[in-house]
Amino acid sequence: MLGHLTRETRFLIKDRGALFWLLLAFVLSIVAVTFGIAEVSEQRETIATLIKEDAADRANALEGQEDWGSAAYYAFHLTYAPPSDFAFAAMGQRDSSPWKHRVRMLALEGQIHEADTRNADFGLVGRFDFAFLAASVAPLLLILLLYDLRASERTMRRHDLLVATAGSSRSLWLPRALVRVTALVLLLLIPLWVGAMIEGTAASLALQASGIVVASLLVWWLIVELIGRLDASPSILLTSLIGLWLALAIVVPAVSKAAIEAANPVPDGGEILLLQRETVNDAWDLPAEATMEPFVERHPEYADHSEIGEEGFEWKWYYAFQQVGDQVVEPLATQYREARLARDAQAGLASWLSPTSLVERAFEKLAGTDARSMIAYENQVRAYHGELRAFYYPLMFPEEPFDADALSDLPAYDPQES
Amino acid sequence: MSTVTRIAREEWRLWLRSKVVVVAALIVAVLLAATSVLTVNRIAAEQSQRIEQQVAAEQTFFAQPDRHPHRMVHYGHYAFRPPPPLAVFEPGVDAVTGQSIFLEGHRQNTAMFADTKAAADLGGFASLTPASLYQLLLPLLLIVLGHAIFLRERESGTLAVMLAQGQSGTRLALGKATALLAVIAIFMIPLIGVAAYSISLGESALAAISLVAGYFVYLCVWGAIVLAASILLKQRAVSLGALIFVWLFAALIVPRFAINASSAAIDAPGKIESDLVMLAEQRKLGDGHNAADPAFMQLQAQVLQQYGVETIEELPINWRGVVASFSEAELTELLNSYAEKRMGLEASQSRLFGLFGVVSPTIAISSASRTLAGTDLATHHRFLRESEDLRFGFVQALNEKHVTALDYQVDLNRNNGEEASRAATINASAWRVLDEFRFAPDSASQRMDRAMLSLAILIAWLIAATGVVYIASRKVKL
Amino acid sequence: MASPLEARSLSLVREGNAVLDGVSFTVAKGEIFALLGGNGAGKSSTLLTFLGFLEPSGGEVLVNGRSVGSDVAAARNAIAYLPEAASLYAHMTAYENLDYFLDLAGKSATKDEIDVALDRVALPNEARSRRLQSYSKGMRQKSAIALALLRETPILLLDEPTSGLDPVAIDEFHDLVKTLAEGGQTVLMVTHDVYGACQVADRVGLLRHGKLVGSFAAENGQRIDTETVHAAFAGREAT
Repeated sequence: MLGHLTRETRFLIKDRGALFWLLLAFVLSIVAVTFGIAEVSEQRETIATLIKEDAADRANALEGQEDWGSAAYYAFHLTYAPPSDFAFAAMGQRDSSPWKHRVRMLALEGQIHEADTRNADFGLVGRFDFAFLAASVAPLLLILLLYDLRASERTMRRHDLLVATAGSSRSLWLPRALVRVTALVLLLLIPLWVGAMIEGTAASLALQASGIVVASLLVWWLIVELIGRLDASPSILLTSLIGLWLALAIVVPAVSKAAIEAANPVPDGGEILLLQRETVNDAWDLPAEATMEPFVERHPEYADHSEIGEEGFEWKWYYAFQQVGDQVVEPLATQYREARLARDAQAGLASWLSPTSLVERAFEKLAGTDARSMIAYENQVRAYHGELRAFYYPLMFPEEPFDADALSDLPAYDPQES
Repeated sequence: MSTVTRIAREEWRLWLRSKVVVVAALIVAVLLAATSVLTVNRIAAEQSQRIEQQVAAEQTFFAQPDRHPHRMVHYGHYAFRPPPPLAVFEPGVDAVTGQSIFLEGHRQNTAMFADTKAAADLGGFASLTPASLYQLLLPLLLIVLGHAIFLRERESGTLAVMLAQGQSGTRLALGKATALLAVIAIFMIPLIGVAAYSISLGESALAAISLVAGYFVYLCVWGAIVLAASILLKQRAVSLGALIFVWLFAALIVPRFAINASSAAIDAPGKIESDLVMLAEQRKLGDGHNAADPAFMQLQAQVLQQYGVETIEELPINWRGVVASFSEAELTELLNSYAEKRMGLEASQSRLFGLFGVVSPTIAISSASRTLAGTDLATHHRFLRESEDLRFGFVQALNEKHVTALDYQVDLNRNNGEEASRAATINASAWRVLDEFRFAPDSASQRMDRAMLSLAILIAWLIAATGVVYIASRKVKL
Repeated sequence: MASPLEARSLSLVREGNAVLDGVSFTVAKGEIFALLGGNGAGKSSTLLTFLGFLEPSGGEVLVNGRSVGSDVAAARNAIAYLPEAASLYAHMTAYENLDYFLDLAGKSATKDEIDVALDRVALPNEARSRRLQSYSKGMRQKSAIALALLRETPILLLDEPTSGLDPVAIDEFHDLVKTLAEGGQTVLMVTHDVYGACQVADRVGLLRHGKLVGSFAAENGQRIDTETVHAAFAGREAT
């Protein structure tokens, strides 16, 4: 076998057509990895700047505050999901879901759905990252490299001579294709490995990613091999393969997506906000008890401190109805989250119908940029918002005297916590 | 019958006898029909839903009881952007941007809940619209049909016979071009149908026709590229491979590359980032809720002088309203300057992206298509600006009521018991200050102006590609 | 000893048409056997069954006494095959091509050995390091023949070997084939060239509509009489 492989390697080196596709794969892989690393480092820079400015802004906001309520009202807190050390290979949902927020102790539902969006034109087309290259473009390149291995020899009337000389087709076509597939895989993966080294990706992760690329290309090889055996002209073979690629890479995902979204309706996001705001707004007109009762139900520990005076504005009441606003939309918000998870789970199943989707999703999972990771980040923001409440409530409701120094113990957001 | 139509008819006969061609064309036709029907239904539903939501939001606002006017400032309002008629063909950025905004005092919110955030994630390009089929799939179909359209005459030796009979290469190429043109014309029918439907929905004929024309030019560019390849290259496998490469490059690689490149070239900071910078400035402006904020001392002196009184209590107007109105104006100016800066950066990113149309006709048509359909970034920006005007309008109108219709002492006293708080309200008829808001697409001529560059790039592509075909066909030898 | 090549009541049906119908012949060691026939007579198909590319629908073909169906690789290993209008790779030189194809056959040859073979087929020295895309049809044919020589197989199958060659090259080629046969190689060639067949072959079989309808052998050191064969070929075609 080794002899066959060296022979076919020497043969490949002289085939300029094949070399062109291989070189293209290499260049595209370098471009994808470079862009990915640049984007990730830009996101890290943004986060670093935000952390600094956020701290300065909060210090500024807290300066001179005289009660717990105003401190909580004016102090924003940065939350963020830093890109993982493999995010350079698959930006995934980071492009459509928010990964940074500044929250304060007001109703969370009014804040968490704010999207710090990029240019809308960009979200439309999508990014050229390694996952896209490996999932969508690489199979096309593989098709172009392999589709006419047999057919072109047939058109040149060389097929029978080759097979008769080689004795069996196995010692000819298998090594010939294997050399090409191996070259394609290596040229795609080498830039990825270099990128992984620069980014300090765990070796096991890089290995898994490489495994995914190899497995997907093997599947595509099998497809090309099966179609390529048909005794048809090269152009008909290529046409059929491109058609198959279109079906698997575009049509199947689009149809499954439409079907999944139709089967799992997501509550209109606007409804969540509307209900939350109506609740908060209405609270102003309602007697204080209407707010404090549901609040105490959730926080019985403050039952003794839930008396709101007849006169004047009280922060306790204000934050209580912020909390109640969240409580009221909780079922909707949960439904929204659950529906997204359900859609994602079904998309995971449907992706088995399309190698392209499967590869992209696998990469996003490895890179922590899949829908699940983004929802996990949202949960982190919720947890952190809860910590803020847990910090202020015991000070605010029993009406502890304001102590500016106590604010240095404000919970800090830790992106690693889960 | 002229030789040109004769050649074209022969080509058609060949296509109709080829299973691959017939099957490919049928699949594309079915996809096109299915996507068109689905998109038309979806957009029509969204359109009526958004208009209803807009009307409902206004009704709810008007129906609010007597209140303190500033409460209504915070109560807020919604602006909805219904999809324009041509969105049935090209939904454009609508899926990415979110189409409703909550409008309230002291804040500019972002458009909420883009569909993509909750979308089922199936990777790469998982949504099909009629526009994306025209942009991506039809060029492929033309490639499948036409990659050997000229060179097969060479392969089968009939080229020699034809040239020997005194046919020129250009006539032959013209015949082949006619055959391809007929294919393009047939596949324009669904688009023409959708365009006609959009006109019936109230779209301007100019915009709809320009959209159809734009796609026609785009497909002709691909037809010319295909024809040129089949004249210049000698083997059909090579021609097909080369054309697939061109497609891969123009339709998949360059657009995404252009995204990466233009976002790297022009750094548009996110909203949180610019909000942070803005917050610092905003603190200097003072808190409009707190009329005692030292930031308003100068304003106070000025107003007192204007009314010739010594203290704010003596003013015939409500000082708290004056402060609210003043600080809203100041803040809005600040917010707008940041919003404008951000939109400006985004717009220049998109312009840069559009210039990549020089490298890929697919970018040129997609930019032109979104612009003509009124689903481009510029339209979204206009929506943001107009909804901001709406916001500022009703907030300031309410502040005006605060100034004139509510007594200062009563206002100050508002938190002292139920009775006092009921006194500090104004009549609900005042809520009628809210303007009716119906977002409409740009006029057709404005859209045409914006799409001009992309259309010009497309036409340049057509000229270049047909030029290559012409020169190549003149030089046709055996 | 078994004959190197033997067809026993060979029948072949392709896409419902009988291509070969009960064809039987043997080719002895060192013999040149030419199958002569018009277009579609089943000549090339006969060669392809010996190589195992086509499976007989009836009867069998044997190489060195062993049925091809039982061991295709052994059959192919014993045979050097020269397809009609074959071309080696156009993007490689003659040296590179021969090196590649020999490797494919599991053999190797030094440059000197390759040169000897190319000398025998009279491929000009200066052309040997050029890519085949600059070659004439005859030169391409010669490099393919050189491959057959270098493989040193006991059997040669030739499909229209002289089509496209000029008269001088045809004579040279015929001489070469005769030398090979004298050296003990068994040659089966198929052709529609009556004159060529009679000039080079020890025996000529006439194939018509898949049936072997006549056989002419060289006798007493004389070549086969072209006129007789031609009359048989043309006469029967006419009826």
